[in-house]
Amino acid sequence: MKKINFFLLFIFIYNFLFSMNAIGEGKYNFEKENLYKQIISETRCMVCQNQNLAESEAPLAIDLKNKIKKMVMEGKTETEIKIFLIERYSSYILYKPPFSSQNIILWLGPLIFLLVLSYILFRNLYLKK
Amino acid sequence: MRISFPIIIFIVIFIILTFGIYNNPKIVRSPLIGKQIPSFELEELNTGKIINQDIIYGKVSIINVWASWCIECLKEHKYISDLSKKNFINIYGLNYKDLKNDANGWLNIHGNPYQIILYDDLGEYAMNLGVYGVPETFLIDKKGIIRQKYIGALSEEVYYKELLPMIERINEEN
Repeated sequence: MKKINFFLLFIFIYNFLFSMNAIGEGKYNFEKENLYKQIISETRCMVCQNQNLAESEAPLAIDLKNKIKKMVMEGKTETEIKIFLIERYSSYILYKPPFSSQNIILWLGPLIFLLVLSYILFRNLYLKK
Repeated sequence: MRISFPIIIFIVIFIILTFGIYNNPKIVRSPLIGKQIPSFELEELNTGKIINQDIIYGKVSIINVWASWCIECLKEHKYISDLSKKNFINIYGLNYKDLKNDANGWLNIHGNPYQIILYDDLGEYAMNLGVYGVPETFLIDKKGIIRQKYIGALSEEVYYKELLPMIERINEEN
């Protein structure tokens, strides 16, 4: 019985060391995998515009996913990859558009709308009494 | 005053949404307009010769992105051929994600209006141009600056009312 236990322990350690080896060599990189998944979920498929790249199987979406994967593996940062996409396909390709002068209404519009409506409501409820 | 406020808000939203309906979301303004065309080194479809962006300079050019599998490309083919007959600008084709045999077969059937056809079998250069729907047509001036981009097949209206006048205007520039 003891021999079997030893044998199992040996197999366990053997496998463990092998798996450590794989991680150490960078064969699988969770950080990069997550970055890749995050970017393709935040990027619009230009062909079928209500889908993100992650969901889309359009030929261009597959090409872009491969390109993004390649860039992630090369160690490019999220910003670098997004700039690459914006330079080619405009900021429309991002589901979360950048806060720029062009998009300022998009970002501040709802807030202004809320403020105006709150003011009207407030005035009607309290000031007119 | 009490009634007019909701009415004003209604009118504002109504106008915004009405404009929204007539705005085609499929057409996205390219960020490359006004910029130099991205450099390239691509194989010529038939000769296999490597060609770079030097072919653009000195004369107004259009680059028409097409493929033999693209049905819409056939619709605009007559306009590209028409431009080719006028013989006053460079007409280049960018063959996009196609097979050489298919592309040549298509040209044999429908005619070849292009002076040079760049072969982009993986669509890598097209990605640099921000191509997302074939056909696309880029209008490039003598200095290599992209002046206009048309997404989708050129229609009669676009061709005669927009593209031709624009080419003539750019052609007259120094």
